[in-house]
Amino acid sequence: MSTLDTQTRTADAPEHIAAFDHPVGKIARETPGGALGWRGTLLHIHVAPAASFEMEELAEAQCVAGRGIVGDRYYEGTGSYSKRPDVREVTLIEQEALDALARNDPPLQDGPITLLPIDHRRNLTVKGVPLNHLVGRRFRVGEVVFQGGRLNFPCKYLEELLGMPVYLPLYNRSGLNAGIESGGVIRPGDTIELLD
Amino acid sequence: MSAPRLIMKLRVAEARLATEDTLLLRLVHQSRPQLPAWTAGAHVDLLLPDGKVRQYSLCGDPADRSSYRIAIKREEAGRGGSAWIHEALAEGTLANVSAPRNNFGLAEGASHHLLVAGGIGVTPILAMARELKAAGSSFSVHYCARSAPTAPLLEELRAVCGDRLSCWFSADGRRFTPAVLEPPRDGAHLYACGPLGLIDDLTAHALSNGWSPEQVHAEKFQALRDENFVPEDFEVQLSSTGQRLHVPASATLLSVLQAHGVPMRTSCETGICGSCICDYTAGEVIHRDAVLQLAERSHRIVPCVSRARGTLTLAL
Repeated sequence: MSTLDTQTRTADAPEHIAAFDHPVGKIARETPGGALGWRGTLLHIHVAPAASFEMEELAEAQCVAGRGIVGDRYYEGTGSYSKRPDVREVTLIEQEALDALARNDPPLQDGPITLLPIDHRRNLTVKGVPLNHLVGRRFRVGEVVFQGGRLNFPCKYLEELLGMPVYLPLYNRSGLNAGIESGGVIRPGDTIELLD
Repeated sequence: MSAPRLIMKLRVAEARLATEDTLLLRLVHQSRPQLPAWTAGAHVDLLLPDGKVRQYSLCGDPADRSSYRIAIKREEAGRGGSAWIHEALAEGTLANVSAPRNNFGLAEGASHHLLVAGGIGVTPILAMARELKAAGSSFSVHYCARSAPTAPLLEELRAVCGDRLSCWFSADGRRFTPAVLEPPRDGAHLYACGPLGLIDDLTAHALSNGWSPEQVHAEKFQALRDENFVPEDFEVQLSSTGQRLHVPASATLLSVLQAHGVPMRTSCETGICGSCICDYTAGEVIHRDAVLQLAERSHRIVPCVSRARGTLTLAL
């Protein structure tokens, strides 16, 4: 069974804007700097069919330029939105940030937090990728080219949904919101590299 | 407002008829061994293919997080949700089910818990009895139904309660009346789940016989449907901004708030799930929901069905 057949794009859902048209993406694009010479790996792909739905892991995913990952809430227009136009075709988070939460580092809460890739609600879990350096940068995951638009920001919604105090520990390491410049298929294990 | 809840795709591990018209489902997660925790009295939302939502109380053991158990009575005169569940949710199928929420929890520190179940209203009461027994608390249960064969989960309730259970089967000439309830003792709490008539009788009786609103907890199956109710215009003021909005007779308070950009969580929009509950600080409210407890009605409102007279000030 599926309840999704009847879900339609919310009439007042704001459209995606191109990553380098976002006010901060635009500034970062014109500002030199950032880590070079790294090479990372895609660990997991997750999508959720609508806001609040549990994420589901995919063995491969179709990325569509200007829209998102097929089957995901932000591709379908069924996500929860703020009214501002935004970059949210694809969201990424570092496995290293999840590892830090798991060792309670820094100790901002009562103890270690196990935030599984299925629970953090970002699409792509990556390893060895300095996401905070990729605002205003082009990078590739396998055959797909992405544009970093803005830093992701933890939301109270996630904290409420999970019933876990993740807001503060995710602050400044919540990952990246990116746009898709040219689409294709991605799979866990794909290499991630900086383009420019 | 209450927090959003995760919606999970759960597998029907077991589907069997508990009575002629009541389907008992056991739901498991496809990959996680443990489901989100819950306490007795909690319900889950079950999403229907048309996007609508139905609430079902969990009737299993709160200490067992490997599965959720719900019982669905087939309501031929209902809105179609239960008929669809009976027909579509066979073993092995998947259902979209929310994490649990509890609007009907046990009072902490009560000296005695008096539970009254009417028909399918037994579902949260069974979970409460399990939790109370496990905690070694003092409790007793009244179960009202047409007859033993039509009373869902009777054997399980009997096994949990033993001689703490009194059954009232009208077909046997034993009809329940609120007069059989013991008078309130200090620190006792009364809980009732069942059809509107039973709840209304019971609540009225309890309040006029020494029970205070804080001691009486009820969960109804449907929100108030008074055919003679005529909605009227009223005004609402938002205390954060001072903004004043007009609610015409033809619109709900919820829809007016949403139309003016106030973010509201919603689910059933029929006054039973509690998603859109908000606080008010002044005004005369006409409560038409089935979710707020008596003691909450002085300061909380369910804006999808409830209205006001004059001007209502919302703590939004």
